[in-house]
Amino acid sequence: MNIEYLLMVIVIMSAATFATRLPPFLLFSGREQHPLLQFLSKYTPPMVMSILVVYMLKSVDYLSAEGLYAVIALVVTVGLHLWRRNALMSIVAGTAVFMVCIQW
Amino acid sequence: MIQAALKTTLPIFFGYLPLGIAFGLLFQELGYPWYFATLMAVCIYAGAAQFMAVGLLAAGAGFVEIAIATFFLNSRHIFYGLALLDSFGRWGLRKLYLIFGLTDEVYSLMTTIEVPKHFERSTFYFWMALFSQSYWILGCTLGAWAGTHLAFNTEGMEFAATALFTVLLIEQWSKVKKPLPFVVALVACVIALVVFTEHMLILAISLSLLMMLSLRLTSQKVRDEY
Repeated sequence: MNIEYLLMVIVIMSAATFATRLPPFLLFSGREQHPLLQFLSKYTPPMVMSILVVYMLKSVDYLSAEGLYAVIALVVTVGLHLWRRNALMSIVAGTAVFMVCIQW
Repeated sequence: MIQAALKTTLPIFFGYLPLGIAFGLLFQELGYPWYFATLMAVCIYAGAAQFMAVGLLAAGAGFVEIAIATFFLNSRHIFYGLALLDSFGRWGLRKLYLIFGLTDEVYSLMTTIEVPKHFERSTFYFWMALFSQSYWILGCTLGAWAGTHLAFNTEGMEFAATALFTVLLIEQWSKVKKPLPFVVALVACVIALVVFTEHMLILAISLSLLMMLSLRLTSQKVRDEY
């Protein structure tokens, strides 16, 4: 346990993390945007969202019971969302189903 | 407005609380006082990086190594600002805080929801960012401070993050209503998973941006329709 070392690590990690979030704003913020940049800014979110979903689902072991629970919880989340379009409700219900399955 | 922002970010609460608790639990095994977990949540505010930090701290890793590892782990965030360039208002402390708070979950929510018409965008985003980080701080602190005595079993609650991204993906679909970005992203995922499973996120995001750009530059059809 070395407090000075820990504080240095916190400072470095804070700076490194901020450095990953800052560049586009420094480069492009407040200027007139090139059509290509507008195109990218429009279609990055749907691509990132697709990739994040794949990323979350890839770590599940589908041959175990957990895989089955994940599929059930996902069906509940998607089904409920298509039906009622209430984000909070879909997320809470899906998560609750997953928790109940895995804790029992 | 504050109430609306709180309601909008509630899905993040269900994701950050258990993840923060998990981090706090892991962190307190290092033997540091609990409030350093709080400090990390306040200053660093990056889930994966903080988990990595526990390993690096235990190993006594060098500062340069830590800086490089953190930067690469979070490198996907470089692209997040692109969609929000003009949404954070003028340069100032508020804008710097909004950039600092641009995590996966916050980015996903901000780029998907519609800001209620009568609210000023950057102020609404500020409250969203502040609430989201407070959930993270709360989780990290709870885990480090009282994690082992928690009566409530949070096992499985981490599914909230998956559910959040899935719901936002559906919302993105109904917003964009064109298949190309989704197809491109899936192709990029498959390639990234085959080549580089450990760091698939940054690879898949860079690849999909590259593919999207080349399609737009080479195909007249894409130029007309997108």
